[in-house]
Amino acid sequence: MSACTLIIGNRNYSSWSLRGWLAASQSGVDFATELVRLSEPGSRAALLRHSPAGRVPVLKHGERVVWNSLALAEYLAELRPQAGLWPADADARAMARSIAAEMHAGFSALRDAMPMNLRKSLPGKGGGPGVAEDIERIGAIWREARERFGVAGPFLFGRYGAADAMYTPVASRFRTYGVALDPICQAYADAVLTWPAFLEWQAAAVEEPWVIPEDEV
Amino acid sequence: MAALRLVLGNKNYSSWSLRPWLALCQAGLDFDEVVIPLYRTESRPALLQHSPAGKVPVLKHGERVVWDSLAILEYVGETFRSARLWPADAGDRALARSISAEMHAGFAALRTAMPMNLRERFARREHRGAVSADIERVTAIWRDCRARAGDHGPFLFGAFSAADAMYAPVATRFRIYDVALDATCRAYVDALLSLPAFLEWQAAALQEPWVIARFSNPAPVEGEA
Repeated sequence: MSACTLIIGNRNYSSWSLRGWLAASQSGVDFATELVRLSEPGSRAALLRHSPAGRVPVLKHGERVVWNSLALAEYLAELRPQAGLWPADADARAMARSIAAEMHAGFSALRDAMPMNLRKSLPGKGGGPGVAEDIERIGAIWREARERFGVAGPFLFGRYGAADAMYTPVASRFRTYGVALDPICQAYADAVLTWPAFLEWQAAAVEEPWVIPEDEV
Repeated sequence: MAALRLVLGNKNYSSWSLRPWLALCQAGLDFDEVVIPLYRTESRPALLQHSPAGKVPVLKHGERVVWDSLAILEYVGETFRSARLWPADAGDRALARSISAEMHAGFAALRTAMPMNLRERFARREHRGAVSADIERVTAIWRDCRARAGDHGPFLFGAFSAADAMYAPVATRFRIYDVALDATCRAYVDALLSLPAFLEWQAAALQEPWVIARFSNPAPVEGEA
């Protein structure tokens, strides 16, 4: 198989990169990681060298270039079906894809008000219009998935998969900004935030020296 | 086979609804539809009856509920493989998924400045900043795909695919707002907007009585008078 390289942004801030990286890690594909520092004068040109969309994450697989976290998840799931990135059960898979897509195009109030910032603990900060509704909806998603499909393990559909990769940055935001969660959601957030691949990412993130002022609340 | 039902917003305005509707039609699938007029007091409870996300589109397949345009396209592609909703070639498929996801989460400036409103035509205007950058990126995607597709068909990957369903509402916006296009992009827009399924959707849209004021008189674009 051709070599894979995943292009990511700053680990501390780039929630979309984290999603792609978690999915790539879970897929079992052997891949190298290349970091492009975001929000710097040369960032855009550097990003455009990797993908025409000019955004992270990007997966390069031989001659093939795949961009966008959700497209990466689908690509990796096809490449490594045995990794179980999507649940095997058709009902669970339908819900997993629906909530992954809902995350992908939604929750902009929460994403804007509570940027991912793995180094920081800012309890009580990050409020704003629409944030409470987003938190409520995400909590409802987590509870429904856990109750309907989560019997085989601590993740949304039991085993760790692409839907968990999509929601991990949200769990990190809830921790950073001290969002109170019910026991089911708290247990789920704890599970994704102690997942070994996430801890590896976080350890590298807190070592990064770069600060992006617009992502600091 | 379990029955398929698609829950949609107003055909005149709901670009997200058009995407899976077109895909289901092009896939040759039998389905019925429920239209929920959006932006009315009764819209939200009506939407929540169909899906916990409270948004259109929603696909019901027997007891199964799938929501969000892209998730529906993946679901249909996987469940009805003979419909070949995604390109057969793995490289094409990877590209189709990348540009579909880019559409799904992106082009906010273009979407806000040019809401889909099939009944209307607006005079061409000068675009700058983020709207202009979105138009440039969309047309670059189209040119790139059309060059790859060669003479295998008029769509992004030759034959119609999920990626065309994702970009069809953008094609309508380019027509509604008379956006200047090169010959390649113009031909692609014409191919999409002359599909019998699209014409059927458009005819139904024009019959709808509902008016959503905020989409009937687009706000000035930032930085433009």
